[in-house]
Amino acid sequence: MNPILSFIIILIGIYGICTSKHIIKSIVCFNLIQTGTILLFLNLGYSEEGHIPIIGEQIEKIVDPIPQALMITTIVIGSTITALALILSIKIFHYYGSLYWKVVFDREG
Amino acid sequence: MVIIANLIQVLLIAISISIVFSKDNTRVVVFLASFSLLSACLYFLNKAPDVALAEVAIGSAIMPLFYILSISKQREFIVMSHVDDDYLKNEKNQKGKGYLLLENFTDYYKLKLYIFNDAEKAELKGIFRKSNVDLIIEKDESTNTYFLIGKQSSILMNKLAQLVENDDKTIVVKVKESETRD
Repeated sequence: MNPILSFIIILIGIYGICTSKHIIKSIVCFNLIQTGTILLFLNLGYSEEGHIPIIGEQIEKIVDPIPQALMITTIVIGSTITALALILSIKIFHYYGSLYWKVVFDREG
Repeated sequence: MVIIANLIQVLLIAISISIVFSKDNTRVVVFLASFSLLSACLYFLNKAPDVALAEVAIGSAIMPLFYILSISKQREFIVMSHVDDDYLKNEKNQKGKGYLLLENFTDYYKLKLYIFNDAEKAELKGIFRKSNVDLIIEKDESTNTYFLIGKQSSILMNKLAQLVENDDKTIVVKVKESETRD
């Protein structure tokens, strides 16, 4: 609910991408950034007295449904990007025999 | 309600810190699944039940499956054998010459060796594209020479060629992925 706390998750994810030594862990940190972004966007349309956006008697007072519709798209696209990155990591492993960034850069020469 | 939501967010931050500082990949995947489950609870408290539903299905079930599948594929060096004699024999006291060579090679790169015998002798054309094989072993019966066939793009093949430099009976062949020697 607090936008500052969800922004901290994004910062931790960026730190993880910058410092991780293993390719798989970089991809996991990318997922952390995605979750932080979703929390930040959902917070935009949130209001304390609003209801869940379903048609009924409470239609006069609902939270904003636009960010929610956008965030479902983000989740699905994030899963496909993760699958693509994992396939590329398998290819890298079969070429270089390792998945540590340093070893891969060393063997490339 | 606000107190519960803030508590869950602090818990999310704790899990993400432990993800960044953990060294074991399998443990990281389990952390990620629990992270997704907790964030789905948080989406529901944010009055977005549809997003929570998608996150439970995709984030905490399908994504860890992807990760586990790809991690399990990243420890093996797969060898396909077309040889029938005891070049690749692996028993307690007597190991074949080729098996010793490959064991030496995979120990150097800390991989797990996995050899399977292809009895049908499948056609070699385009086999590196179709299946996940790293190395193919063949034998020329007339000259008693063994051919180790691998991908040209793989850097590991250079080390293998270095290992068999002094051996006349073993030849390393590098092919492009689109064409296979015959």
